[in-house]
Amino acid sequence: MPGSKVEVEELTRALDGKVVLRDVSFLIEPGELVALTGPSGSGKTTLLQLLGGLDRPTSGRIMVDDIAVHALRHPTRYRREVVGFVFQLHHLLPALTAQENVELPMVAAHVPRRERHERARELLDEVGLLSRAASLPSSLSGGERQRIAIARALAGQPRLILADEPTGSLDALATERIWELLASVRQRHGSTILIASHDRGLLQHVERNLAIREGVVFEQGLDANQSDPDAETPPPSGGDPHDHAPANA
Amino acid sequence: MTTLLQTLEALERRPMRTFLTALGTALGIATIVALLAVSGGAQASASKFLNLGSSDLGLFQRDAADPTTSVLPLALVSELRHTRGIQAATPLVLLVGAVHRAPGAIAFGAYPDSFVTDRYVFLAGRMFTGDRQVAVGSGLAAQLHLQVGDTLTIAHHRLSVSGIYHMGVPEQDDGAVIAFGLAQKLAGKEGEATTVAVSLAPTVSRSEGIKTISRRFPGLLILGDGVNAPRTGVSGVLLSRLALVLAVIALVIGGVGVMNTMLMSVLERRTEFALLAAVGWSGPQIAMRVMAEGILTSIIGAGLGLLLGVVGAQLLVGLLGASEYVAPNVTAWDLGQALLVGVLLGVLGGMYPAWRAARLSPAKVLAER
Ligand SMILES: Nc1ncnc2c1ncn2[C@@H]1O[C@H](COP(=O)(O)OP(=O)(O)O)[C@@H](O)[C@H]1O
Ligand SMILES: [Mg+2]
Repeated sequence: MPGSKVEVEELTRALDGKVVLRDVSFLIEPGELVALTGPSGSGKTTLLQLLGGLDRPTSGRIMVDDIAVHALRHPTRYRREVVGFVFQLHHLLPALTAQENVELPMVAAHVPRRERHERARELLDEVGLLSRAASLPSSLSGGERQRIAIARALAGQPRLILADEPTGSLDALATERIWELLASVRQRHGSTILIASHDRGLLQHVERNLAIREGVVFEQGLDANQSDPDAETPPPSGGDPHDHAPANA
Repeated sequence: MTTLLQTLEALERRPMRTFLTALGTALGIATIVALLAVSGGAQASASKFLNLGSSDLGLFQRDAADPTTSVLPLALVSELRHTRGIQAATPLVLLVGAVHRAPGAIAFGAYPDSFVTDRYVFLAGRMFTGDRQVAVGSGLAAQLHLQVGDTLTIAHHRLSVSGIYHMGVPEQDDGAVIAFGLAQKLAGKEGEATTVAVSLAPTVSRSEGIKTISRRFPGLLILGDGVNAPRTGVSGVLLSRLALVLAVIALVIGGVGVMNTMLMSVLERRTEFALLAAVGWSGPQIAMRVMAEGILTSIIGAGLGLLLGVVGAQLLVGLLGASEYVAPNVTAWDLGQALLVGVLLGVLGGMYPAWRAARLSPAKVLAER
């Protein structure tokens, strides 16, 4: 299934009178794997929640393919059928097994029981945790939980995957495994993937880096040493400067 | 069906929370059941105080909290005697909780030559004479192993048993009769009576008698044997009002308990519902899940509550020694009602929390740490 094209235009979000995102514009092509980097409090979570239909902008437009996400009055179907969200805190339901957690989005979509089980097990296999299908989240390691959360995000066969600091609480090795997993997901499913993180290692797996500082988003190179916050803001529809190289460097 | 099974599984995996939630519901239901049982029991036993012939009436103070606390002026007796259609009138005093070793027994103070005492059938001995004797009912005699000549203490007064009677009326067979004057003194009711028993003239029908008396003495509560008199009397006026008040209080306490429990369990799990919303569950889907859990939990709770309520009411009434007056009488219908109320409360109590859960903004909740 092809990835989504994401167009953001002059997006602004104010929370309690404070402007958290300011006039954000960018374009992500179908199937791109993009990093969103910026310090804590810069607005990464806010931006991803807007893209995922979990929040509504104060002003501006978000087009995902032909869906006007900023204007969705009932975002349920969009969340269920278009987006897969990986949260900073894994947010697995503690009372459900790994497999049941992966099945949750499919329950909402009325996928028949047997098919649900089958697909959940395929996804668990894909993230390398089929053997932990019957485990409760409390008995899994942090890295394993995030991989279950990724499997859950894949359950609705999303065209757009949004991951909000999925490695925030993981060690370097587990972090690297998550990046490899997300890169292989993109390769296998062709989904568009946007990952918020301040792990520099992520930049080796992506082909683009959007930087965010105090609610302002701009294009930044992939050079891991680059940290110049004064790089210029990209034009909203900036031609096609991205080659679709394989993600694994 | 799938939802039900999943819900059950989910409840099973959180045994502690499920138990506590069910317990909250259970306490609410138990309150309802216990109060309903006790008030229902009070209602049922109120008309048993007096044994009256088919042409007799018992007169009580209309606004007394219950028949045993009724107070009537003795002057009423002579007025009644001069009322057309009334053959005889005799005052009685009811002493509650005064019989030593039998707290549930009632001691009746009566004149030994009245039309009421004339009817006593003695199995042994005879009616009391004077202030030092007592006639004992067969039930009480059996309970305390009393024989003629034994001593029975009533309100710290040692009395000699003059005879043992049998009437076929539980309250009287399980009680005792003493001199009216003595009973008045022991009850602190000089110049007063608890009730006046009235015998109607043979020419007067019962309904005529009731009409005449209620017209002349509007402050009286008139009880009779059979027909509707006792029901419209004690139960209709005094106890059903009391029972209603108790039932309403019970419903409010229980209902608030159930709703509060449900609300807490939802608030505690807001992240869970926000997560479900974020992965594509619709508002109604989330609300259904909350409701299903609420209903199941309250069914468990209602069952537990029924048990607690029935057992608790029995224990309480037994402990207070009040079983003679407010024997909890719980019928299958009561139980069914309580169960129904429990489930209804679960549904109602779950509705607001479900609505809240469905409306949570996933962005806000999921961003909290
Ligand atoms: N509900 C809120 N109300 C007010 N301010 C908020 C709220 N949520 C986030 N913010 C503020 O918005 C800014 C961006 O937050 P966030 O998007 O979480 O940043 P990041 O994910 O990059 O750490 C922060 O300054 C934060 O304090
Ligand atoms: Mg964040």
